Amino acid sequence: MKKLLFLGLLSLSLFSSCNNDDDNPSPAGPGTMEIEFDNVAIINGIQRQLSLKEVGSTDYNYENAMGQDFNLTFLRYFISNVVLEGPNGERFEDPQTAEATSSSGYYLVDEATPSSQLVKLENIPAGAYNKISFTVGVSEEGIKEGAAGGALDPATNGMFWNWNAGYVAIKVEGQSAVSAGGAIGNTIDPENEKGLVFHVGGWKDIEGTAFVNNNQTLSYAFDVSAKVADDQAPHVHMVMDILQLFTGQNEIDFTGNNNVHKPTDGKSMAENLGAAFAFDHIHQ
Amino acid sequence: MAPAVLLLVACERSGIEAFNPYEFQVPAHFPPPTYNLENNPITHAGFDLGKKLFNDPILSRDGSVACSNCHAQAVAFADPQHRLSVGIDDRIGIRNAPPLANLAFLNAYFWDGGVTHLDFVPINAIESEFEMGEQLSSLVEKLNGHSRYPSLFRDAFGDHDTINAPLVLHALSQYMNLLISDNAKYDQYVRKEVSLSTEELAGLRLFEKNCTSCHSGALFTNQQYANNGLDTVFSDIGRALISEGLADNGKFRIPSLRNIALTAPYMHDGRFATLEEVLEHYNSGVKASVTLAAELQELGRQGIPLSKPEQARIIEFLHTLTDYAFITNELF
Repeated sequence: MKKLLFLGLLSLSLFSSCNNDDDNPSPAGPGTMEIEFDNVAIINGIQRQLSLKEVGSTDYNYENAMGQDFNLTFLRYFISNVVLEGPNGERFEDPQTAEATSSSGYYLVDEATPSSQLVKLENIPAGAYNKISFTVGVSEEGIKEGAAGGALDPATNGMFWNWNAGYVAIKVEGQSAVSAGGAIGNTIDPENEKGLVFHVGGWKDIEGTAFVNNNQTLSYAFDVSAKVADDQAPHVHMVMDILQLFTGQNEIDFTGNNNVHKPTDGKSMAENLGAAFAFDHIHQ
Repeated sequence: MAPAVLLLVACERSGIEAFNPYEFQVPAHFPPPTYNLENNPITHAGFDLGKKLFNDPILSRDGSVACSNCHAQAVAFADPQHRLSVGIDDRIGIRNAPPLANLAFLNAYFWDGGVTHLDFVPINAIESEFEMGEQLSSLVEKLNGHSRYPSLFRDAFGDHDTINAPLVLHALSQYMNLLISDNAKYDQYVRKEVSLSTEELAGLRLFEKNCTSCHSGALFTNQQYANNGLDTVFSDIGRALISEGLADNGKFRIPSLRNIALTAPYMHDGRFATLEEVLEHYNSGVKASVTLAAELQELGRQGIPLSKPEQARIIEFLHTLTDYAFITNELF
């Protein structure tokens, strides 16, 4: 009886996965999945699209948990080491390559460039996936490959530290009514009297030293499984709540902490990243 | 009979194969390279391009400073004249430009070890406002608009749309990776090709007794960081800038001693003009501080007791690390 039921299920699933070509009963081939990183501000439980302001703007459209008004002018972060897992042992590791003219598996998400917020994963074995993990930042494996192109090109990504050589995991810049100014970043200069700059970098893990590795590897469960096959390309929405960057594990006070450029100074925001990112929904 | 035949075959083979000066070869007494050469294999065209870039002031914002300004072959690619490096608009840097040799074998670069891959080393010099003051992106633009560089990059790296920064850095690494200094009198002694003089041998023994806990191995550095007692208060905290740990205050990368007789002045800030001053510092000048190297306070006092004749023997030995073939090699 069990066997019969199993056969029945099998034929059912074969039928559904081959509905484009009933004459070909071969198992489904690999497919693609799009992961959208939507940067948002969740205020009173309502999710709103992040809205960047002009450099110098005193229109402060957000408020941190300490009641300090602020806006953002720049938001950029790296996503790498993407791994998908499923309930039946499915596992997909997005391959990473780093060559002089191109790289793959390293994604630079830039709020100012909507296309950069779509991460397209390819050649995923057919199956159901209900968990994603990724690293915010570029870990040691990416750095020991040396100079690489694409998202890793240090001349174009605006995310490379020369002095403590490596890629910054996340850069957040803007202005706050309570900032003391003097900050310096990609969009903020010291003359900007209200500047806020958070460059969260640092990737070295050396035992017995003070080094801080701010790359965060985060895992999220989906509410339903995303089904991947050669004819099924799910679209997964992740959100990143910029308000959570400044609260959660560590409250960030813009009066005393408005110009972050060192790994130890960036640690407090790095520890908030886990709560800032969240799974939102899937379009199957 | 069989061994003789084998030998003959081996000789014929080596006779047939042309010597390729662009082939990266690890000297027998060296550690394995840290640079992954499979990522960036050295070619004739790539090396020549790296050499041209190294010597071209186009890398600086106003076309006035080339890498070779502060890294001159005649003095083992150290700064031939300045205590602190001098960049565009005569701006003075904060540290002494180090010699360049055997870079493919190191695990970190600069006095504070802030860079851990050779490809990323030139970015610091190019973009530093005290050195070349140029943006990497602007340099790439200049090279793409140049009359000759685009074809030289195609010769070196094959087809690509445009020159990008990683290709510039790969070319420079190809050049720097071949800067191997392994033919000093000391190397010839290790290979049993020459013998050292009595004084040099006496210096070697003293060196082994007093110096090799830090300046160890074929590279003459253990690649660690140490405070060698230059100051009690640190105007430059060195390694602690990178590690952000108080335990690293005033520590700097232990430098290789290869070609050291050519690379004056010495220390991260070039404060000592001669090797005699350096040796006397270790004898009588070491200053106490919390992070002072343990090796420099083993005897209940700071420093390493070395008489003037002992210092002189060590300096004679250090001269055997001068590689004249390296500083006159026309390939470079």
